[in-house]
Amino acid sequence: MQEDFHYYATYCAAYLAGYSHEESMDICYGAQLVDLCSRTFLKKLRAPLSAATTQLQLELMDAPTDRVGLQDITRIWASFHFLPYDLYAEKKHCSKRYLDKYRLICNSNGALVKDTVMLAKDRDPGAVGIAMHVLADTWAHKYFAGTPSLVINNTNYYFFELLAGRGRQIKFRHNASAPDDPDIGSYISTIYQNNENSIMNLGHGRAGHLPDYSYIRYMYLPAWGDYSEVVKDNPSDYYHAFCQMIYAMQYLRGEHDEFELDRYAWDTAEPYKVEIQGIIEKRRLDASGDWRAFGQRLSGKKLEPFELNKYTGEYIKADAAQRDDTYLGRFIIAALRQKSMVTNKIYTSKNKLAGFSVDYNKRGFKGIKDFRKLLDIRIEEVSSDVDASEDI
Amino acid sequence: MSMLQRISNFISGLLSLLSGIVILLVPELGFRFAMLILGFSLLISGLRTVIFFFRMARHMVGGRSMLYYGVITMDFGVFTLTLTDMPRLYLAVYLVGVYAFSGVIDIMRSLEARSYEGSWRMNLLHGSANVALAILCLVFVRSANVLAFIYGAGLIYSAIVRFIKTFRRTAVVYIQ
Repeated sequence: MQEDFHYYATYCAAYLAGYSHEESMDICYGAQLVDLCSRTFLKKLRAPLSAATTQLQLELMDAPTDRVGLQDITRIWASFHFLPYDLYAEKKHCSKRYLDKYRLICNSNGALVKDTVMLAKDRDPGAVGIAMHVLADTWAHKYFAGTPSLVINNTNYYFFELLAGRGRQIKFRHNASAPDDPDIGSYISTIYQNNENSIMNLGHGRAGHLPDYSYIRYMYLPAWGDYSEVVKDNPSDYYHAFCQMIYAMQYLRGEHDEFELDRYAWDTAEPYKVEIQGIIEKRRLDASGDWRAFGQRLSGKKLEPFELNKYTGEYIKADAAQRDDTYLGRFIIAALRQKSMVTNKIYTSKNKLAGFSVDYNKRGFKGIKDFRKLLDIRIEEVSSDVDASEDI
Repeated sequence: MSMLQRISNFISGLLSLLSGIVILLVPELGFRFAMLILGFSLLISGLRTVIFFFRMARHMVGGRSMLYYGVITMDFGVFTLTLTDMPRLYLAVYLVGVYAFSGVIDIMRSLEARSYEGSWRMNLLHGSANVALAILCLVFVRSANVLAFIYGAGLIYSAIVRFIKTFRRTAVVYIQ
């Protein structure tokens, strides 16, 4: 998904879920920031680099793909863009190495989606934005894994766009100088590399930006699918994502006691269904304009375009002790929390592709220092809970 | 280029440099030495690909091509190793043929990379130089010492290019 959905559509979903215009702006800012919060961005802020939620092309060019490098890549991409569906999935006659990668395949309504949404409960808008980004991407990026893998993420010539019941073969090219052309079905994708861990085989690179376009329906043979065709209906998936975001945010606002998987706010979206589906199905590469106009009609407020440096001044100027109380400070903590949670779940499934997760109660604090921040916050929360219960 | 590819490229460069030096110093031994290195490299590379097929690629759509690739490479490696007892002239012609073939592959890769705006100049230069050296070797095929000198120098040049390729950044088209 791109800015049109992560920023503008998330704003619309937040507003429909009952948040105010200002809260919705902060939520959609957080959702879009996930696609831009790279180590390069964090370095400029002198912020913890482990809070990176994405990697820029230049960073990936230099990213090592040894074991540790792969773990770093997987922590980022599996936690924020390709949330694994079933960490205990089985496939017969497979090696452990294959199964580890197979289990990271992303899909909607997995147990980790629930964990992600619940992690944002009673948190600030930036954390809600992160959860909405992750949730929305489980719909767009389904069938791909957030780790470099030829045997999982590769695609071949059998790739067709479904147009009025007919299939038109998609022409993939690797020259980025010209944009994707939906009229002739010509799209950019990463080049074939027979190296299992090549960065070209990360996520949906081999399928180009097709998963990011809401209008397209296509069928192809996923590398992991045993020659079974998969039909990806993006208009339907994007509408599901939108309605699930509304429902999730209603839960986060306290309208539902529990977040249930496979539940959607159909009723809330119903009055706008035709308009929303119209935006989703229109053939173009960027639907920001229509989503923005729709959002402005909903709230009656002007929707500012995304500005990366909106909150950087506040963060940089704040004292070291106050930084965690700024918007970006809280976003960074939420990002660390999400990454820590997903890494822990992957590790406890006996899969070390995202690295190690240490039980603090058993072994104390070990590992990447940036995550110490989460522990300090947890200790602070526990001690304030104890104080409150003693007061009672 | 992945870390593993960089390491493997570096080792190939090192072996190429070593072979080049040995050929320049002791031509008789050098050609056999080069054949052994080439044969074992192909054998190991093929074996690794076959193992990768059985552990991973057999579950992948189109993964069987990995098996074919691995078996052919292994076979080529075994064939190369069986030639080490041949007279020096035949070894030289065989090695020059392989050298020219790798040059053509480099040229084809550079043309492919050019079509998607990747890094292509280095490959084109390397490939063209390899082909040119191979032609030069064939011209002087009757003079054993000149042939050894040209081929040895060519291997050293290839090693240097490999080292440069190993340590430079790789341009990629990446989908985010």
